[in-house]
Amino acid sequence: MGNENMNEQDQNRPQYWQDLEEWRQSDEFKEMVDKEFQSSPFAPEDSQSGFARRDFLKLMGASMAMTSAGCLRRPEQRIVPYANRPPEILPGRANYYSSSLVEGGEAFGLVVKTREGRPIKLEGNPDHPFNEGSLSARGNAYILALYDPDRLTGPKQNLLNKEKSNRDTVSSTFEEIDKAFKQSTAAGKLGLVTRSIMSPSTRELISEFVRVTGAKHYVIDDLDYSVVREGQKKSYGQEVLPRYRLDKAQYVLTIDTDLLGSYLTPVEHKKMFSKTRNPEGDMSKLVSFESLYSMTGSNADERFRIRPSEQIKVVVGIISELINKGRVSDSAARDLVNRFKNSFKGFQPFEAGLLGRVADELWANRGKSVVAVGGLPTQTGLGLDLQVATNYLNSILGNDGKTIDYERSAHNSYAGTNDIERFVSDVEAGRIESVLIHGVNPAYSQPNDSGLVKAIKSLKLAAYTGAYNDETGQICRYLVPDHNQLENWGDVDGQTGTIGILQPTIRPLYKTRAFQDTLLTWVQTSGRASGLLKADSYYDYLRSYWRRKVQPAVGGGKSFEDFWYEVLQTGVVRTSEGRRRDSVSSSRSFRSSSLNTIIPQPSSEMELVLYPSVALGDGSLANIPWLQELPDPVSKIVWDNYISISPAYAHEKGIHEGDVLDAKVGEKTIALPAHIQPGMHDAVAAIAIGYGRMGGGKVAEGIGKRSIHLASYFEGQLQTSGLSVELKKTKKNIPLASPQGHHRMEGRQIVVQATQDQYKKDPAANIHKHKVFSLWGKHEYKGHRWALGVDLNACNGCGDCVVACQSENNVPTVGKKYVMEGRIMHWIRIDRYYSGDPSNPAIVNMPVMCQHCENAPCETVCPVNATVHGDEGTNDMIYNRCVGTRYCANNCPYKVRRFNWFNYVKQVKEPQHLAMNPEVTVRARGVMEKCTFCNHRVKEAKMKAKTENRPLAEGDVQAACAASCGAGALIFGDINDPNSKVSQHFNKQNGYSLLEELNAVPMVKYTTKIRNTSELKLDDNGHGGGH
Amino acid sequence: MIRREPLVEGNKSLKQVTDDICALVERPPGKSWMACFASAKILFLFYLSVMGMIVATGMGLMGVNSPVGWGTDIITFVFWIGIGHAGTLISAVLFLFRQKWRTSIARTAEAMTVFAVMTAGLFPVLHTGRPWHAYWLLPYPNQRGPLWVNFRSPLLWDVFAVSTYATVSMVFWYIGMVPDLATLRDRAKNKVRKAIYGALSLGWRGTAKQWNHFEMVYMLLAGLATPLVLSVHSIVSFDFAVANLPGWHTTIFPPYFVAGAIFSGFGMVVTLMVILREVMPVFKDYITMNHMENMNKIIMTTGMLVGYAYASEFFIAWYSGSKYEQYVFINRAFGPYWWSYWIMVTCNVVIPQVFWFKRFRRSIPVMFVVSIFVNIGMWFERFVITVTSLHRDFLPSSWGMFNLTFYDLGAIFGSFGMFFFLFLLYTRVLPAVSIAEVKPVLGVGKEGDHHG
Repeated sequence: MGNENMNEQDQNRPQYWQDLEEWRQSDEFKEMVDKEFQSSPFAPEDSQSGFARRDFLKLMGASMAMTSAGCLRRPEQRIVPYANRPPEILPGRANYYSSSLVEGGEAFGLVVKTREGRPIKLEGNPDHPFNEGSLSARGNAYILALYDPDRLTGPKQNLLNKEKSNRDTVSSTFEEIDKAFKQSTAAGKLGLVTRSIMSPSTRELISEFVRVTGAKHYVIDDLDYSVVREGQKKSYGQEVLPRYRLDKAQYVLTIDTDLLGSYLTPVEHKKMFSKTRNPEGDMSKLVSFESLYSMTGSNADERFRIRPSEQIKVVVGIISELINKGRVSDSAARDLVNRFKNSFKGFQPFEAGLLGRVADELWANRGKSVVAVGGLPTQTGLGLDLQVATNYLNSILGNDGKTIDYERSAHNSYAGTNDIERFVSDVEAGRIESVLIHGVNPAYSQPNDSGLVKAIKSLKLAAYTGAYNDETGQICRYLVPDHNQLENWGDVDGQTGTIGILQPTIRPLYKTRAFQDTLLTWVQTSGRASGLLKADSYYDYLRSYWRRKVQPAVGGGKSFEDFWYEVLQTGVVRTSEGRRRDSVSSSRSFRSSSLNTIIPQPSSEMELVLYPSVALGDGSLANIPWLQELPDPVSKIVWDNYISISPAYAHEKGIHEGDVLDAKVGEKTIALPAHIQPGMHDAVAAIAIGYGRMGGGKVAEGIGKRSIHLASYFEGQLQTSGLSVELKKTKKNIPLASPQGHHRMEGRQIVVQATQDQYKKDPAANIHKHKVFSLWGKHEYKGHRWALGVDLNACNGCGDCVVACQSENNVPTVGKKYVMEGRIMHWIRIDRYYSGDPSNPAIVNMPVMCQHCENAPCETVCPVNATVHGDEGTNDMIYNRCVGTRYCANNCPYKVRRFNWFNYVKQVKEPQHLAMNPEVTVRARGVMEKCTFCNHRVKEAKMKAKTENRPLAEGDVQAACAASCGAGALIFGDINDPNSKVSQHFNKQNGYSLLEELNAVPMVKYTTKIRNTSELKLDDNGHGGGH
Repeated sequence: MIRREPLVEGNKSLKQVTDDICALVERPPGKSWMACFASAKILFLFYLSVMGMIVATGMGLMGVNSPVGWGTDIITFVFWIGIGHAGTLISAVLFLFRQKWRTSIARTAEAMTVFAVMTAGLFPVLHTGRPWHAYWLLPYPNQRGPLWVNFRSPLLWDVFAVSTYATVSMVFWYIGMVPDLATLRDRAKNKVRKAIYGALSLGWRGTAKQWNHFEMVYMLLAGLATPLVLSVHSIVSFDFAVANLPGWHTTIFPPYFVAGAIFSGFGMVVTLMVILREVMPVFKDYITMNHMENMNKIIMTTGMLVGYAYASEFFIAWYSGSKYEQYVFINRAFGPYWWSYWIMVTCNVVIPQVFWFKRFRRSIPVMFVVSIFVNIGMWFERFVITVTSLHRDFLPSSWGMFNLTFYDLGAIFGSFGMFFFLFLLYTRVLPAVSIAEVKPVLGVGKEGDHHG
């Protein structure tokens, strides 16, 4: 016991002690300690304050902890050690993935540049046979469709009011939507409305879905080419879209058809056309008969003005000339011409004998010419007749099967809009109860009297897969946003046998679901899925489809995994059919009977033409500011649509630029500002479609007006041209914004033109050389020396390079107000000049970017040395050093320097910042900027070459503008390499520098614009109109 | 012998002179001064807020754009720098030429120079995209390499020219004031005044030795300031003349700018003197009609000089055979900015011709109106040079227009607020007429006057 007591006492004893008293813990000791300290460490409670010191400290600490915990919630952030970096991703280095893009009617092969797992730049896939590395402006701009801040972030339910006209939404879930469709749709009463699907696996999926569930599939496209297909059917019995082989054509005749700008596949057309434009050899000739001034017309060697209602007269007139000259002796054709005889009276809009000359030239180029008609401006009441007559002309000229191919259209799965009627009648008859709309925005793109909107509104349930709560979204109960194309798997076969793959280059940014996954989910919940339809996801479906269908067709005897890997790497495969892509199908026999129904129709006093603009097309990408700020190739106007009228008409009616006109077509009206467009026919007004979006995003909303509602159905066909219109001037004026200040060259040597004959006699024809001399010797460049060649003969002014540059170099957009104030930021611009008579002038285009002058005027005047010459011959801009005196911009004769008037970075909204190229500095307010010749790309290529221990070779580096140009008008490279393309370009005899006499010695060299015509339309060196 | 006109009227005694001039500083201000000062101050505050907005938001608030990269700021900068020239001419050049009539107006003219240069100096800074980095235009040892300024750039020469001009003008003005400041100190009845004027008068006691030193320094400074009258505006003109822009790239610019500067400077001096005579009537005795007439003669002469320059520019444009040059000049007179060109010609060449008549040279209302027109005309001259040359240069595609915004107008009118704020303050705290210099010329015109 004693021991135990001892132990108990021991436990009370301190572990460390100073003296024996303390160890014993005697009462005296405790008393002494109590006295010694004001508050005893032993006291459980201080008698005076009520709190022990330690308790106080404890409480204090706890309360501090509590208050701080209450105020400061640490965000849950996880950092990841670099040792575990995701595979493939190396910070600071770009990864490139092959993919594809469907835009409008074109299917591009893509190379997607990604940095740190986010796509930042789209470029054409050089291995893809369709675009061969080039990319359209809309293709370039598509990256912003991915990072659009206005995109739907997840499934939504529209709070539809009675009229189904409001825009308020609440969040929904995919499950809710799936359930709603399952419950409210009787078997077989589901409708699918889609655009023409260019994806073979999706086509298969839809057809299986339709087969299993009994759903009905309707195809409706935003841009309608049905008339072309029907014309083919009527003429040849085949319902196809033709493929114009401009590369095989020596003579191209277009009638209101914007082959190079917007019709069918402009990218392929531009590429093929430029191949035939070499002035050394047999240069092709382009002749255009036009009512409005299109981009194709601006490239034409000869251009003539007609009314839309006269389109068919041109074709019949040419046929009649051929008959007169005894070249054709077809009774059906004779009858046709006879029917038109009376209507030719008064149809002499151009020089006498012109049609005869054109007929002769066409005849001389039998089998080597193309007569092209199609697109909205040709869809007059006689649109179908025009197609048939043109097909006949192509057949008698032997073009069919030589320059016109009917098997390898670039949009082979195109089905048109004929389903609208079927859809509306099915809805009315109650054959469908609910609908899923995918890839098309019919409430916007189809005329109101199609009855579509009414039909969709009357359905029990409608869902829309679009990215916005736009025109169609607003009339649907549910919004089931599809992935962006860059987030999704997929495949695409624009041309038969050439199949591209879509790889997701980023995880879906938002809660979206692939349209195909929606179908799979629906078919699986219905319990009727079998076979491929049991796939877990569209990705599995796609792979199975490729294993079963594509791999056997391509062949090669590899395992599927190897095959798949290779496909993803190259981005495109070709079946045996695809390998025959460049061959042309044999000619077809024309059904002469189809000519019998063609009868002339009277013209109206003033005719309206609707057309898709080169920048916006059908308007589906209208929310991308880059496209809104891309100047139209002809009018150079941005951020608006307008009514184009001719100068003579404007003069007659006292209309000034920007005066708002009320256009009345039947009962329908539109009020838009007038644009006085030289080259318009005097009895024609033209309005672009693609504007006036509602709910398509904050950028698109309120820009221009929707003009397609003026179109109507005429004998079952959409009539978008030759509409009888009344224009009435109002008192309002809405100024139009154009970055170009003046439209004539004022007799200065800016764009030099020559005819082919002149060129052949003297390659340097029409170039006025200046004698320039310098007191100083030339600087020597020992390594590389970068230069850019501009082939004005190849440039068609489309503006693809402008958007490519904007995307590559983080160039901001400024909006209409500031474009009007002269603050557009483009580093490369296309100057468009008119020459000749304002009623029908010729157009020349000139891309102008920083000229990287050897004797740069900007460099000497900068007080702080913020712009200096690089050792590779470039004129470099040091943003950090720039104070912003703008002296350099004043002294730049080419006016290519752009100033940051405001802090433009501020306007970049999340997630747009992800589209920024980290290789290019985002410029601060108050500094100057300009084209750098993409020197970050040069640097990257040099580093790559160095690590591979080889010298930099030709083709290793491309400026972004040059890379996107399909026509080969921009040639970038090292001028110190005598074999480089750019060196050869600089040595051309028809080369000249812009404003040579200033002796700035630009590192950009232009070559003459050659026209295949006998006489140039030149200015009489005066100050003629056209401001 | 022709009798000389007296330089000071009113038959003043030495004491009266001192009393007259010092009274302005010692007395509480009158109502008219207070009214002027209040409005100038409000305008000045408005100016500060306009500048604050521009610095905070960006140059985009003003009308400048591409192609017109220089606008209101540069125009108004050149305008104010030009104004300053008359002051230096009167105080330094006329001093060296022993023109005694200058004595009573020299101080105020010189003050105008200093304030005009101060007003002008803000503009180039405000005009830059990043004014907080404007000090990079100064060549100072730095840790960026060291990174030096670009000595080839006329803008840099401008920095040196203007800063030298500002420094020399201020020193010259201040040194000349020292004896008068001592007078103020001696008359001061309150301790604070005594201390301030005491410090400013640098211990001036008026000994013969001090006078000897003073006159020597004053003459040397006058000698130093004289070339500046020619150099500053020559160098400002280089900003334009050295650029390759048609309409700017002209060898006539240096003399043309100097003549214009003196012209506009005298215009402003006349404006100010008329105001001063009205606001402080005692000055009518010191700044006499003869002074005004002399200045009006100079205005007419220099007005014809700039007229000659306008004409010769057109001649050279035609004679050069350069398309661009010719177009710019035709465009100046008949293009979209024709009105600015004809305002300039009317104000600068036509209107001053009224001074051929003595009646108008000696009429206060006429000279006031003319001097205002001269000021307007000279602002438009810089507008014409800057804007009409830039807005349509080599490539027609890049032609554009320049429109004044609210902020442009704020900067133009606000700068007058700053100038008049400083000037009115000056008339209240410093002797506006040189007491020490006026006293020796009191006798002029009195010789042989037996009644005097």
